Amino acid sequence: MAKNIELKVYGMTCDDCVAHVTEGLKSAIGVKDVYVSLKDGKATVKADDSVNPKELEKLDVFTKTHYKAQVRSVKDE
Amino acid sequence: MSEYDLAIIGKGAAAFSAAIKISELTSNQIKIAMIGYGPIGGTCVNVGCVPSKYLIEASKNFEMAKKPLYDGIKADASIDFDKFMESLNGFVSDERKEKYEKVIKNFDNIDLYDGKAKFLDKNTVAVNNDRITAFNFLIATGSKTFIPDIKGLTDYYTSENIWNIRKIPEKLVILGSGEVAIELAYAFSNFGSEVHIFNRSDRILKGFDEDITDNLRKIMENHGIKFHTGVNINEIKSKTLFYGNNSVNFDEIIVATGRIPNIDDLDLNKAGIKFNNRGIIVDKYFKTSNENIYAAGDCVDQELKLETLAGKEGAVSAENIFGSEKTVNIKNVPWVVFCDPNVASVGYTEKELKSMNIKYNIRKIDLKNVVKANILKSNDGIAKVISDENGTIIGVQVLAPNAAEFIIEGVYLIQNKLTYNDIINSSHVFPTVAESIKIAGQSFIRDISKMSCCME
Repeated sequence: MAKNIELKVYGMTCDDCVAHVTEGLKSAIGVKDVYVSLKDGKATVKADDSVNPKELEKLDVFTKTHYKAQVRSVKDE
Repeated sequence: MSEYDLAIIGKGAAAFSAAIKISELTSNQIKIAMIGYGPIGGTCVNVGCVPSKYLIEASKNFEMAKKPLYDGIKADASIDFDKFMESLNGFVSDERKEKYEKVIKNFDNIDLYDGKAKFLDKNTVAVNNDRITAFNFLIATGSKTFIPDIKGLTDYYTSENIWNIRKIPEKLVILGSGEVAIELAYAFSNFGSEVHIFNRSDRILKGFDEDITDNLRKIMENHGIKFHTGVNINEIKSKTLFYGNNSVNFDEIIVATGRIPNIDDLDLNKAGIKFNNRGIIVDKYFKTSNENIYAAGDCVDQELKLETLAGKEGAVSAENIFGSEKTVNIKNVPWVVFCDPNVASVGYTEKELKSMNIKYNIRKIDLKNVVKANILKSNDGIAKVISDENGTIIGVQVLAPNAAEFIIEGVYLIQNKLTYNDIINSSHVFPTVAESIKIAGQSFIRDISKMSCCME
């Protein structure tokens, strides 16, 4: 089973930011696919069931840079 | 219906601190609704710390002008109280403008709503005719004066409206013996009122150790303030307060019997938020029983109600909304009563340590050992330094002039787990009242009566 996790992402201003956030999310074990929207300030993550959505907020990209994220919804695929 | 990332209910210290911190964390991209009623800035700037300290400092100035402390100086002072109160309110208005009204204009991401918020469900509040939904909420609605149920208590001032007074009362009754009661008693006594403090318990300033408060009470009694403690009030009738078989007539009465959380109108149950009569129940990260709703400041069920604590809790809540797990150690937070001498405390008191059966060492010095206190002719106070068994400082309490300005030394000592040797090895300025902490530190290792001035 996989799930789709939607995060609100703050602090992105350009395509480089999108690349950083995408890379940061993909570094998490169990994350299969990531789509980041600059316009909406959102990231959609497809992940294994083993992934705890709230742990994504604590990834280095959201704690050691100026980007911040918050899980807004989790849906089973 | 307006949608936000975060709705902050309240517009005082905790609310502003949270709003600014979370705006910084999100590069001002988080959309915030700040909802509140009354003047912006909350208790502290409008009716709390700012006007009360202005009142206290002015009253002290008047007292000193009436009675110069030093031989050879003569003066003749008078006061236009109406004009003074006008200046006080003008000052409050200026500070509110500088610290809040101008500040909020820097944040395009924050919308202000004027009105009372009421939860409709876990994500929605009603404000007047608006409906506001948000993913996150922070409740920072502060506190208000508790009004005791006393027969005939109808026409009174509180710390919220005393700023409208325009005439110095000849006889003033103050109900309560906490910080607000003591500070207002001190100020009005300086202005010339005959002040009577009434309290049901026989203690004053119950958070402090009794040696400090006994000493302060004597100082205030010598200043002319009359304490009626351990008494029950029967009723108030025609500007007369009846207690036991006695009575006191008065011109004005101030109710200062403690503060209660401002949460009655919020309909917290609708959002699944647990609370009691002391405030909203939060975990150590300031999260309520609803995981997307935080609470900070005076509206929280906690032991201290302070603007600085509210500001800290607001900022910590903002970080925790993004998954941080920051906490506030209340034992690192100083608190002060601004009568003169000031009463200041940080860390554990002796009575707390005794009640917890924690072993400790204490050194207490009389302020007569502090040259600056002698120069200021205010040497009736004491300074206490408490360490654990290893010499690490865990509490500092001071009854001294200007203690509010130097209790920060105690904060650094406790926060950084420093010892009495660290106090001794740090050069202090001579002559200052802050030296009282150094001398108390030195008394851990030597008899200070056999110590010369400025000895290391």
